[in-house]
Amino acid sequence: MQGVFFIAACASVLAVALICIFLFANGIPAMKEIGFLKFISGEKWRPNNDIYGVLPMIVGSIYVTAGAIIIGVPIGILTSVFMAMYCPKRIYKPLKAATELLAGIPSVVYGFFGLVVLVPWVRELGITLKQLGITRTSGDGNSMLTASILLGMMILPTIIGVTESAIRSVPPQYYEGALALGATHERSIFRVIIPAAKSGVIAGIVLGIGRAIGETMAVIMVAGNQARMPAGILKGIRTLTANIVMEMGYATDLHREALIATGVVLFVFILIINFSVALLNRRTERE
Amino acid sequence: MKMKKLIAALSMVSMLAVAVTGCGSSKDTSADASSDANADTKTEQSGSEWDSSNDITIVSREDGSGTRGAFIELFGIEEKNGDEKIDMTTEEAQITNSTSVMLTTVADNEYAIGYVSLGSLDDSVKAVKIDGAEATAENVKSGTYKVSRPFNIAVKEGLDNEVAKDFINFIMSEEGQSVVEENHYIAIDDVKPFEGTSPSGKAVIGGSSSVSPVMEKLIEAYNKLNPGAELELQTTDSTTGMTSAVDGSYDIGMASRELKDTELSEGLQATVIATDGIAVIMNKNSSVDNLSSEQVKSIYTGEALTWDEVIE
Repeated sequence: MQGVFFIAACASVLAVALICIFLFANGIPAMKEIGFLKFISGEKWRPNNDIYGVLPMIVGSIYVTAGAIIIGVPIGILTSVFMAMYCPKRIYKPLKAATELLAGIPSVVYGFFGLVVLVPWVRELGITLKQLGITRTSGDGNSMLTASILLGMMILPTIIGVTESAIRSVPPQYYEGALALGATHERSIFRVIIPAAKSGVIAGIVLGIGRAIGETMAVIMVAGNQARMPAGILKGIRTLTANIVMEMGYATDLHREALIATGVVLFVFILIINFSVALLNRRTERE
Repeated sequence: MKMKKLIAALSMVSMLAVAVTGCGSSKDTSADASSDANADTKTEQSGSEWDSSNDITIVSREDGSGTRGAFIELFGIEEKNGDEKIDMTTEEAQITNSTSVMLTTVADNEYAIGYVSLGSLDDSVKAVKIDGAEATAENVKSGTYKVSRPFNIAVKEGLDNEVAKDFINFIMSEEGQSVVEENHYIAIDDVKPFEGTSPSGKAVIGGSSSVSPVMEKLIEAYNKLNPGAELELQTTDSTTGMTSAVDGSYDIGMASRELKDTELSEGLQATVIATDGIAVIMNKNSSVDNLSSEQVKSIYTGEALTWDEVIE
């Protein structure tokens, strides 16, 4: 009987191993053929002329993720503080259900929402800014800003879930002790509880980064997908994931391999993120 | 407790039921959904004024797409530099990999310009005249509207699937080409009436999502003549269509572009089954109705940034 469980456990390991082998076996030769440095640091992506530089997409992914963090993290942390410390029991249940539902919405639905709701808003904002003379061009709504807002919404459930449980796991004596010393409610939360839950909060943020960097469908629909260096927050941008999905359909030969190599770059990013989560967890255990 | 279980069971059953019915008529429901979306966007945009001092939003397809390839070639956006052809499409152009996002973007944005296959054109946007010629199947056929590309099917050399062979004969017959024409694509001239051998069996057809709408109609018409044949259509993309035709998982591959030399060298034989026009589309509120090919080129190469610079 034990054997059955063992085989089941092997399945996921096998899947990861197969993906690794596939990615590296197809991606590394392409990187060599293009030239590793040329591939990583090239600023031009013109598959029809065999020019493959993924730097715009790497920078694009990082910018969009950073934007999502700037928007999602404050809201996420404040929400989880509210849920753990302030929330009346009556509101808690629907609030919890709502954040969980947010996690369950398919990303293509987020994308469509972004396309019909967020994009026109950002476009209006751009046109207003241009008319006021603040920016030279208005942009068209499909932009870094739109993608960041949308991703900021999408990473909320991840951040809220992890942060809330981290805050709840702080021993109540800390809070009571802070109150006993004369600190106000807010002061004890932000100076005592959150620092004590720090590693959990950071783990939540890192998981959010992982979610944001890997997101594809929603980003494709709102980001504009221009394969060039980011030119401003009202201008479009292309992420690594978008680059792969957009062009896979028609790519042949080296172009196809270059897209798989893009997958390798993305995979390395995800490895780094997972590694840092593991590192954080280890530090928590030691503490 | 029992009540909760009952409710859970009921909701599971209803979801299953929806899933099952969804399989049967998935095409109809998706069509309904898209027409609803179009209706929504139309009501939203009425009433505002079109201001030509605004920036042009350029929407283009991804590199390697058959539609994009034909578009840049026909408008001279592709420039030759020795042996190399360079795609001069401006880097500021928004890129999308689907026709529906292209249509939604243009229907939503009054200052956008894009392009789609003539067969996918719908009422949510308007097609502009190019050099005075309207984008219609008749004009493509007569040559006044010059923006068109071939639809290809490809089979492996020495194909021994009788159903697939008979179906190709049907496509290339008068009956098949009339289906092509009914769906706003441009038919092939001088075809003979269909003489089917009515073989029974199964064939798999797959590939380009641009070709598959017309292929679906062709299969429907063919099944009426030969109910014994089972034709399966898989919509993927041109490259998958060709590679799968090479490795034998599709009997017939579909491509909305010319076949690459590497694909031909692997033993594929291509046949043009129809010609498709490419419509340049704009928002309905736009006051631009007519563009010259020079103007389209200057927009797509990024020379003109606002509509003022295009229309005097």
